[in-house]
Amino acid sequence: MRGLFKYVAIIVLGVLLGGGAGIWHIRSGGFGDTPIGPWLYSKLAGSVAADDQTRSVIALYGLLALPRSEALYFTAKSDSAGRPLDGRCHYRIDGAPLAARWWSITLYNPEGYLIPNRWHRHSIGSLAAQSDAVGRWQVHIAPEPRDTTTLPTATRGGFDITLRAYRPSGQLLNDPRQVQLPTITRLECGA
Amino acid sequence: MKRWLFPLAIFLLAAAAGHYMVMHWTADFIMARATDKMAGRGGWNRFLHAAPTRAEYQPVVRPSPDLLYSSCAFDVSNGPVEIVAAPIPDHYSSISVFDAHTNVIFVRNDEQMAGQPMRILLALNGQNVPAGAEVVRLSAPRGIALQRILLADPAEAQRIDPLRRQAQCRALGHEG
Repeated sequence: MRGLFKYVAIIVLGVLLGGGAGIWHIRSGGFGDTPIGPWLYSKLAGSVAADDQTRSVIALYGLLALPRSEALYFTAKSDSAGRPLDGRCHYRIDGAPLAARWWSITLYNPEGYLIPNRWHRHSIGSLAAQSDAVGRWQVHIAPEPRDTTTLPTATRGGFDITLRAYRPSGQLLNDPRQVQLPTITRLECGA
Repeated sequence: MKRWLFPLAIFLLAAAAGHYMVMHWTADFIMARATDKMAGRGGWNRFLHAAPTRAEYQPVVRPSPDLLYSSCAFDVSNGPVEIVAAPIPDHYSSISVFDAHTNVIFVRNDEQMAGQPMRILLALNGQNVPAGAEVVRLSAPRGIALQRILLADPAEAQRIDPLRRQAQCRALGHEG
């Protein structure tokens, strides 16, 4: 009887430890598997070909994501210098024209939810962003927005940026690694 | 030393099994919970037209505040479910269908609809469906159909709302 109890305990402990490692594995995974500068993207989001880990991470951080032919999702947790995004800092995002019908930049907390702010401003898209003559655009992120092209961080902690590109085409669709994705530059930081 | 080898092997096997189960079932578990939650709010086999996304109202993780969402938690256990939707003029819109394993098994956008309404039937593999319909087959009975509509401006939501409510999700009744 004692022997049986010992083996049951070993199995339960093993399953709990292995399961716990699986949960950690999923929770520590980024919203994507392919790094492009500060961005991570998953070419298998929403696809039947997605492996278990991709499927689990997408379910946890972006359930009901569309397949890449319809929308591409790029997520950044750090700036272009590799420093984690910090809600106390001011960032500038510089982008070139994207081969997509529509794109947007949205801020989320690390759990993937919009961060409440008194301006009720969470995203800015190609319909509102101001572009220059060759289509280059800038978006600012700062604790206190100065104008309508600045998104408030509304947090003193970390945050994520998601770049969505709907109905991508050309190189952006076929191989986003060959495309100049926006850069994220940290400017000044508050205390 | 030898007497620990067998228990150690059992422990490692159990750990591998625990890891595999979590990795394999997490997505299905989250999807099932999301589907049940959606059905709890809007019922089965009918569209729930969510209010515009804001920080105080986020029905799903990582929502886009630029989109209007309408969702239908469907269950084809008792027969096919019909989805009907029309494109919204001059706006990106799409209908996507997610199965119980989080796969996107169908997606159609406004460009592909070319100004015409679309109608599909969701049905289990082997389930009878009326002739002539476009059928999307499922390996499990439950899932979510989602309508996305891009808003040029949040103020547009009120004007678009009656248009998006023309979308239908309904059970066709018991399998014939």
